[in-house]
Amino acid sequence: MGRYTNLMLEIKGLVVEYRTDDETVHAVNDINLWIEKGKSLGLVGETGAGKTTTALSILNLLPETTGYIVDGTVSLDGEPIIKKNREGKSVPALLDSDMQKIRGDKVAMIFQDPMTALNPIFTVGYQIAESVRLHQKCSAKEAEKKAEEMLELVGIPASRKDEYPHQFSGGMKQRVVIAMALACNPALLIADEPTTALDVTVQAQVLEMIKNLRDKFGTSVLMITHDLGIIAEMCDEVSVMYAGAVVEHGSLEDVFDRTRHPYTRGLFNSLPNIKDRTARLKPIRGLMPDPANLPMGCAFADRCDYATEKCRGEKPRKQWLTDSHFVACHLYEDGKDEDRL
Amino acid sequence: MTEKSILLDVQHLTKYFHTSGGTLHAVDDVSFQIERGKTLGIVGESGCGKSTIGRTILRLLEPTSGKVIFDGTDLTALSKEELRKMRQQMQIIFQDPFSSLDPRMTVSQTIAEPLKLHGMIKNKAEREKRVLELMATVGLAERLYDAYPHELDGGRRQRIGIARALAVKPKFIVCDEPVSALDVSIQAQILNLMKDIQEREGLTYIFITHDLSVVNHFADDIAVMYMGRMVEKAPAEELFEHPIHPYTQALLSAIPIPDIHTEMKRIVLKGEVTSPIEPKPVCRFAARCAYACDECMKSEPELINVSPGHWAACHRFA
Repeated sequence: MGRYTNLMLEIKGLVVEYRTDDETVHAVNDINLWIEKGKSLGLVGETGAGKTTTALSILNLLPETTGYIVDGTVSLDGEPIIKKNREGKSVPALLDSDMQKIRGDKVAMIFQDPMTALNPIFTVGYQIAESVRLHQKCSAKEAEKKAEEMLELVGIPASRKDEYPHQFSGGMKQRVVIAMALACNPALLIADEPTTALDVTVQAQVLEMIKNLRDKFGTSVLMITHDLGIIAEMCDEVSVMYAGAVVEHGSLEDVFDRTRHPYTRGLFNSLPNIKDRTARLKPIRGLMPDPANLPMGCAFADRCDYATEKCRGEKPRKQWLTDSHFVACHLYEDGKDEDRL
Repeated sequence: MTEKSILLDVQHLTKYFHTSGGTLHAVDDVSFQIERGKTLGIVGESGCGKSTIGRTILRLLEPTSGKVIFDGTDLTALSKEELRKMRQQMQIIFQDPFSSLDPRMTVSQTIAEPLKLHGMIKNKAEREKRVLELMATVGLAERLYDAYPHELDGGRRQRIGIARALAVKPKFIVCDEPVSALDVSIQAQILNLMKDIQEREGLTYIFITHDLSVVNHFADDIAVMYMGRMVEKAPAEELFEHPIHPYTQALLSAIPIPDIHTEMKRIVLKGEVTSPIEPKPVCRFAARCAYACDECMKSEPELINVSPGHWAACHRFA
């Protein structure tokens, strides 16, 4: 991928497992992701596809006792976060204390549920100012002022800074979380289903705001969602994840107009068509395989109308169809960019 | 015009809750009718009263006032015992397939329970046969007969909920966000299933949801709720093509569309839903409405007929 030079985030060959006494869950299986500076990448997939695990790996926040980065590297703005040591093992490249400086400063994350991301016993103003104080050399006064600015920026009157999270509605709480995330002007914003818990009209407000702030500050965004509509609206490129792997990646035009992978097509067909209300939905049959017990071949084969013997026996490799578009599917082994669905 | 066969006639249904802060108007003077075999979609955002309507119709919550006429019988006038018998004809499917199933009952026990309660099939062998039949109808494999809910994923649990509702051969089902907790590929499976069953059994549905693209696909008529009030009602196609109420317009424009060529003309509403506790007798949407005028702050608009089948409560059309 020599053509990508100015990368904000680069993940190569990432493999993450969750290990318990009973089983090993293969949450992320050899994925590559990259975001150019100032661009937005959408990561789309269903429950259990490994989207959140990928995000947590970037921040080195996997649950300590069960989550293991087995392989791969992660670098942020050219600086390694996860690197290979001399024996070729993937290890954190930074001390915990240095990683802590990066979190919230260079990379910020917004979680799905704003209530669990806020501390109920501190005022919202205090919580925003806290991250400013931790990351920027400034006085408590200055940090407080910055917090007021941020609140205004996300459309909350600064006069409400002394209120507690429970005094805000869900949409307002998510705005507070966004204010907190953007207070230190991060270079990369990871938004993990930021509007899933919100009503549509509030979702529209929050998305609009993320878009405006992103454009204003030139922030790179990793937008994790299950909603293809949000991807269409917010992102430049999109990676489709299934059972821990990226099965299709490309620009919005590639993935939306020239859909190649049967799973991606299945996702689109499952959505009610707003223009043709009587069209019968074409769901994907069956269920996602148990990530503790993935099949030998293509993880989607059991649900795929095009599956052959080969699909069941052998994992498909990533195949570039154009400069910007790849799929991992045996249908496109010859690398020809034509519609085979 | 041919005589339409109305299964459910809801008249001035009202449900207030008494809270420490005052009276909460969850559902305020809502009237509508549903024809046999049709689906009415009720949409709106959190707290608009859509779930309360569903529960009040079935008298899972006692209405504060109003009538619910089901197949000629006024449900609000029935005694407890009469109502219990009546419930055989009306069932409900809940949103959360995790909390709506008893974790200590197996799939077959759960589906058989309503049959026992209504004393429908007394013979054990026949009841087993009926349970297996229902499991096949909703696409649950026979091997899951003795499985417990915790062993199953959300989609399968929702299928149990549907089988349980169908067990007593109801005429009418209230579906309260039946697919909201499910992933899209599973959501499509369940929606298709519910549609097939409706066609086969001639069921009538109330389909309550916050997801507008789902309701557009699923419902014949759509009612839009805002703070306990029905603000607009029309056939699905008409509502999506010619929304009249400013709230409906904003709601529809807020749907993210999974298509990169659709030009978005989004109306971003200011503010948020205000409290439904003792609302003033003015238009409840006025504070957020771009078209609000003096009249909107003086009186509450009535639901009026704008064109055939299309109703709206907005002073701009009075």
